[in-house]
Amino acid sequence: MSVDGKGWVGKAVPRKEEDRLLRGRGKFADDIKLREMLYLRFVRSSYAHANIVSIDTSDAEKIPGVICTLTGSEIASQTQPFIEMAPDPGGKIQDYPLAISKVRYQGEPVAAVMAISPGIADDGAEAVQVEYAALDPVVDAEQALTDASILHEEAGTNKVWGGVFEYGDVEQAFREAASVIEIDRMHFHRFSSTPLENNVVIAQWDPKDERIYYSCNNSFPSFAIQFLAAHLNVHIDRIRVQTSDIGGSFGIKITSYPQMAVCALASKKAGGRPIKWVETRSEHMISSAHGNERTFRDTRVALDKDGVITAITSRHIDDCGAYPRYEPLGCVIWSQVFPGVYRFKNARIDFSQAVTNKCPVGPNRGYSRMQHLWFLERVVDICAHELGIPADEMRLRNYIRPEEFPYTTPNGCIYDSGNYPKMLEVAKQLIGWDAWKKKQAEARKEGRMLGIGIGTTLDSGTNNFGQAQIVNPGAPFSGNSQGANCKLDIYGEVVVAVGSCPQGQGHETTAAQVVADVLNINPDLITVRTGFDTERNVHTGFSGTYASQFAVSGLSAVHGAAQKLKAEMKRLAAFVLKSKEEDLEFGVGGQGPEVRSKSNGKSINYWGMANIVNVNSAVLPVEMHDVTLNCRYIWRAPFKVPDIKRKYGNLTMTYASQLHIAVVEIDRETFIPKILDYVAVDDCGTVINPPIVEGQVYGATAHGIGAALLENCVYDSVGNMLTSTFSDYIPITAMNMPTVKYGHIETPSPHSYSGAKGMGEGGAAPIHTISAALQDALFDKRIFIDDSFNNPDSLFRALKGEIGRADDIVKVERRA
Amino acid sequence: MLAQLGEEAKLLAGGQSLIPLMKLRFANPSHLVDLNFVPGTTYIKEENGALRFGALTRHTEIEKSAIAAGVPIIHDCAAGIADVQIRNRGTIGGSLAEADPSGDWATVLLTQKTELHCLSPRGERMIPLPEFITDAYTTALDHDELVREVVVKVPEKGSGGAYLAFKRSAPVYPTASAAVQLTMEGEVCKDAAIVLGCVGLMPVRAKEAEAALRGRSIDGKALAGAMEAAHAAADPQPDMRGSAEYKRSLVAALVKRAIEVAVQRARGQRVEVSHIYA
Ligand SMILES: Cc1cc2nc3c(=O)[nH]c(=O)nc-3n(C[C@H](O)[C@H](O)[C@H](O)COP(=O)(O)OP(=O)(O)OC[C@H]3O[C@@H](n4cnc5c(N)ncnc54)[C@H](O)[C@@H]3O)c2cc1C
Repeated sequence: MSVDGKGWVGKAVPRKEEDRLLRGRGKFADDIKLREMLYLRFVRSSYAHANIVSIDTSDAEKIPGVICTLTGSEIASQTQPFIEMAPDPGGKIQDYPLAISKVRYQGEPVAAVMAISPGIADDGAEAVQVEYAALDPVVDAEQALTDASILHEEAGTNKVWGGVFEYGDVEQAFREAASVIEIDRMHFHRFSSTPLENNVVIAQWDPKDERIYYSCNNSFPSFAIQFLAAHLNVHIDRIRVQTSDIGGSFGIKITSYPQMAVCALASKKAGGRPIKWVETRSEHMISSAHGNERTFRDTRVALDKDGVITAITSRHIDDCGAYPRYEPLGCVIWSQVFPGVYRFKNARIDFSQAVTNKCPVGPNRGYSRMQHLWFLERVVDICAHELGIPADEMRLRNYIRPEEFPYTTPNGCIYDSGNYPKMLEVAKQLIGWDAWKKKQAEARKEGRMLGIGIGTTLDSGTNNFGQAQIVNPGAPFSGNSQGANCKLDIYGEVVVAVGSCPQGQGHETTAAQVVADVLNINPDLITVRTGFDTERNVHTGFSGTYASQFAVSGLSAVHGAAQKLKAEMKRLAAFVLKSKEEDLEFGVGGQGPEVRSKSNGKSINYWGMANIVNVNSAVLPVEMHDVTLNCRYIWRAPFKVPDIKRKYGNLTMTYASQLHIAVVEIDRETFIPKILDYVAVDDCGTVINPPIVEGQVYGATAHGIGAALLENCVYDSVGNMLTSTFSDYIPITAMNMPTVKYGHIETPSPHSYSGAKGMGEGGAAPIHTISAALQDALFDKRIFIDDSFNNPDSLFRALKGEIGRADDIVKVERRA
Repeated sequence: MLAQLGEEAKLLAGGQSLIPLMKLRFANPSHLVDLNFVPGTTYIKEENGALRFGALTRHTEIEKSAIAAGVPIIHDCAAGIADVQIRNRGTIGGSLAEADPSGDWATVLLTQKTELHCLSPRGERMIPLPEFITDAYTTALDHDELVREVVVKVPEKGSGGAYLAFKRSAPVYPTASAAVQLTMEGEVCKDAAIVLGCVGLMPVRAKEAEAALRGRSIDGKALAGAMEAAHAAADPQPDMRGSAEYKRSLVAALVKRAIEVAVQRARGQRVEVSHIYA
């Protein structure tokens, strides 16, 4: 029991994993070195779009130390193309892990070289000669939709998916509108996550037992093994995947299964020798995964006389790069937050997704929802400016109200809880809203460009995978689940295993807090095994660490397993102590953790119980033989399959929210936007460990500020990636960070057992907030912030009238 | 040794330019001659009105040196190069020998009277810095010649300098930078040296901008003149750091701020400056 008697959940319990990680004793995939191991280097396409005329590996194979090479055609003959999520024609796309007859983005792997050292593998890769015949590259999604140059001939079109999401009565809302605002085009840019540790795969296709052994840092291994088993034509049980510590993923490491496939096939070709592939930073930048880029066209907004939005129609075009991979799930995942934090009921979004000759996308932190939330925030913000309604007031008029929760959105999602006006109030107080408004007015008089921006966002967590059926009615998934195991080991130690693979989210600590409360012991007495391992048998088809859900799915599973263990311990103790179960209490005694009888004062410690079950079992009566003290529990989310025709249903269990405010000044001579003040307020329901939550908020804030001002994946018109190193792609550093003032409110979720909501992704609040602050600084110059990425150069060009001219992009029709 | 190993051999100093190039396979030397173990190549001393830096002196050592701080613009430069790790390895000699158009040392030291003492099997020779850098990544050094020492004349009393850059983050080269050294006589600028960084294939000496200040008091008009001249003198390439037009405008703003600091320092005021980070 914790000191105050209120339990461990909710306490600032120091992170169990901290000691190991901060002392540099983390165990990462690249730390593993195996006997006879070979190093793999990819040969990558220098073209964005080209036919492969020939590949000559003979020079490479002559280099001493090069053991073998592998090409796409060798792979095609022994594998199936990867599963496609899209229905036809998108479903006809044939995705192999090495290019076969053509390349579709710069950096696409066309061959692999295996050698006894990384340096020799590099030399080998350089010696492979590939002849290309260039094709017209398509780097813009709207242009891709014209199908002038087609990436995947099998599909016959670049359009991976298209569908209309329509709810309410849009036409009537526009007929009755007091004003209508039209926005021609907005664009959400491509950026990535640059985890400290790049992708790493070690694979061995062992000829002795015909199994494939992986050690890697994939962050959604149960998804990866489903793809790999089908691709490699092996039973899924033949694939063992282990992960250890992971140096960040942010979703980017979900889609490393193609490289995992190549490593296994390379090992097979090398006679079963283990293969190691450690991605370089440049490889990571050009070909791991980027976040989705999205263009918003022909947006129309209907508002009533008070500036309350009554309807929105728009056309959204998502760019998923050269191969859909996890897509087109992103074509529906945004609709988890269909109306954002706002009350409008009528909307029609015509959504399509295109392939382009760029790096494939992956589910980057804030995946698919942040693009849509940014769009909505830009809409709300520009409407406020155009109608002369203050930014805070505009939000209050449009927010879903606290008393409306649980709130059903127009598309059937159920927002569990929240209090957006309260968050705004807390944030305004923390930043000193009124004082900044005064300073802003003074600065304006001096001609300075100072803006104050609000961004409100959602972090929806614990998916209903049934939403996949909205994009593909044949998709065989729905609901969500997670597994956990809780046991007393032979000597009575409490050991918890989870199907997650954390990358800094503190799962070891929070899982221990939950179990500690169930058993009424200290979390230090609990060992938590994290890191994925198929052999631990605690995973379900959805296990991994992604999509803001551990606090709900992971900890519900841990809680369930601990309850199951506790029930068995009770039965066993009642038998041994000759007591009634109701008379038993859990706690810590002179001989460690124990169960004691309140009626007769007798107790048995954990060692005693484990001993009877495992090594002294003759004393156990037959009717207790089902007690194992080794309890596996599968938690399942209470979802229904959505109505596919109407695209209607609850798509997520919890909705954490964030509200940020930024004060930004654009220097009049250097055009450098400087953040003068910054507040981040979050609400993720009942908090399990406050410092862990706060840490996630800072991380997400840094990530978002980086995305808004520094991080941009740029391609030139022929598909060359111009940002393949950290000289050109600038991940945010501590020196770029403002001091973030942190605020917090708690609206417990009625949907999770603990009241907690999933969090961590953060909904990209800083991108919305900084766009809004820049808009506020520049609106009187008739500049419209139409892109999610802004830097000194783009602001300079906007101020010169070259881009973002509001009068060209935004039209306002006032009827009342 | 270099003479023996031939053209493909390269010197290795801090490795902060050479090693990344080798990693990206842009450089592929047959041999590396490591200078790091050669004794007596790391020092900072003041002798006969000049600062003398051993070629292997690290950026960090210069940043922390009280002697070097006597010439504030040198401290501005050393303290603003990349991040701590890179400053701990990178050397002043390597930086000048690399002649990277974005490198900070050449830009700053071109505002000073700087000479390089170079050594080869044929003996030692002295090359003034303006003659040392001949093009982007190209110097007057012979293949078998190395930089032994960098000598910077201490500016006269009444002279002040400043170096400012805009950097998107610490471990990247600046988007643009400006080094200014002014000699003041009362309110009047007696002499000026202005060099612009990262806006050309070599550091750009902004002669017209200097002329806009020389012999005049530094008022709004003079500043505007210098900015305009700097804007015109810059010849930047567009890249991920910004468009050419933007860089021109940025470098002019940096020149203005550097002049303002230089004036204060010329008056003997202690002014701390740091680069601007995004
Ligand atoms: C991420 C990153 C960011 C950086 N940012 C900046 C920055 O903002 N500003 C900046 O100015 N620099 C920056 N640098 C470069 C850094 O300052 C280097 O230290 C410097 O450019 C080269 O010095 P070095 O001692 O490392 O030389 P090395 O890399 O060892 O050598 C560079 C070249 O000079 C030759 N050489 C070295 N020493 C001598 C000598 N004594 N005589 C003759 N030839 C010699 C070598 O053969 C080689 O060709 C950065 C470097 C990195 C990796």
